[in-house]
Amino acid sequence: MKLTDFRAARNLAEARAILKELGPVGLPMAGGTSLVFTSEKDERVAVDINRAVPAGIARENGSYRVGPTTRLAALQMFRGDGWVLDRVAVRLATQQIRNMSTIGGNISRVFPWADFPVALLALNAAMVIAGDAERTLNADEFFDGQPARLFQPGELLMAVKVPALTAGQGFGYRKQTQTSAGFSLMTAAVFVEADGNAVKTARVAIGAGVPFPGRATGVEDLLKGRKASEAAFREAAGKGLAELKFKGGDGMSEEYIGHLAAVLVGDALNEAWVAAKGGAA
Amino acid sequence: MSRRSITFTINGEKKTFEIEPGEKLAKLLRRKGYVGVKEGCDEGTCGACTVIIDGHAVFSCILHAFLADGRDVRTIESIGDFDNPHPLQAALVEEGAVQCGYCIPGMIMSAEALMQEMSNPTDDDIRTRMDGNLCRCTGYEKIWAAVKKVAQTNKS
Ligand SMILES: Cc1cc2nc3c(=O)[nH]c(=O)nc-3n(C[C@H](O)[C@H](O)[C@H](O)COP(=O)(O)OP(=O)(O)OC[C@H]3O[C@@H](n4cnc5c(N)ncnc54)[C@H](O)[C@@H]3O)c2cc1C
Ligand code: FES
Ligand code: FES
Repeated sequence: MKLTDFRAARNLAEARAILKELGPVGLPMAGGTSLVFTSEKDERVAVDINRAVPAGIARENGSYRVGPTTRLAALQMFRGDGWVLDRVAVRLATQQIRNMSTIGGNISRVFPWADFPVALLALNAAMVIAGDAERTLNADEFFDGQPARLFQPGELLMAVKVPALTAGQGFGYRKQTQTSAGFSLMTAAVFVEADGNAVKTARVAIGAGVPFPGRATGVEDLLKGRKASEAAFREAAGKGLAELKFKGGDGMSEEYIGHLAAVLVGDALNEAWVAAKGGAA
Repeated sequence: MSRRSITFTINGEKKTFEIEPGEKLAKLLRRKGYVGVKEGCDEGTCGACTVIIDGHAVFSCILHAFLADGRDVRTIESIGDFDNPHPLQAALVEEGAVQCGYCIPGMIMSAEALMQEMSNPTDDDIRTRMDGNLCRCTGYEKIWAAVKKVAQTNKS
């Protein structure tokens, strides 16, 4: 995007008024890092929303309420009961990018390699969008296509509600890159809840090597109520992903990426299960 | 496309600059004489352009200059000079950690931000906080050793 002008908003009301006045040409800007990847043909007026949209992480009942302008580095540093997003943040690009990029920017316009949509789908997070009225969308609704489609001029993402994990629940995360700071070839995020030695529920999400991040419900269905074991996890990952379409590229075939997905989902399930049973992961 | 003015604190001095809407901070700083800010990749992958904004290391080559409005910006020019080197600069020399030197201003800014934030960084902290700074010459070990030396002196 090519910026023809910029505006600073001192607070939310001002940001919304400016964005409404600008209409489709207005571009809310938090870290602004996404412009590295957009076409210069599209002319926009940037509106700095950093003083308008909240930043910070606060416990709110069973969830953490994360302000959309929270930098990924703050997610990386935060520690709290049932908080797992530090593990997602620290694996994303480099420290300077984590200091610049915000969680709101990462999920409001989803690039193929985006890490947080995958984790938030697995965790069943909720997103609060505010304009003239406020509405809350669960992750499945929010990521059912490019989230940018949901925002009318003047509407902004105002909060991300991330469930705090409790005893008997676990999170697993795997991201395969060629170099440590590289874009993901395949990302897998998994939430499991244990019922004794069986899987009560599993939420499995994958991203990067697929057209758009999404749930792998085939894997989830195979695991529901099943006795947990590494063999069961690997079998469910293999069979449950078999029907999905994967994207090749960078010298990697679709078959390879599909195989990688099964390995990573299996690994993430194992990790999540160990955590659910009170282990270290 | 009209020029617009922004004001921020640069190395302790409040200054006003005229900028183009899409101008990046590295370009602005270099045209204003802060040429210790280096440009390598110009796309947020090498770290040569690292500056500190409000205490955090960022890539100035991809940071839109207007986002610095009202903020506190520090460049390598705030760090020390040949006659009065910053302890980190002295340690880099002692460890033999500098070869061509192109990456070093960015390395120092990342290390400075790390030391401002943490008083006793572990080896892991140092590597994680400096994972955005590439060096094509040294192999990193001596740079990390120099940072560790100063970060640990800081602690005592
Ligand atoms: C070199 C490099 C490597 C990267 N590697 C990765 C990686 O491996 N994995 C990964 O996930 N990300 C990676 N990123 C970051 C990612 O691609 C995005 O650039 C970043 O997450 C966007 O965050 P931002 O705060 O800079 O958003 P911005 O660029 O400010 O905004 C992004 C989009 O979201 C909209 N937006 C922002 N905030 C709001 C809000 N509150 N309400 C409504 N709309 C909003 C903006 O209008 C814009 O369309 C990388 C970036 C770079 C530059
Ligand atoms: S010049 Fe900025 S990261 Fe390379
Ligand atoms: S000393 Fe040459 S790039 Fe680091």
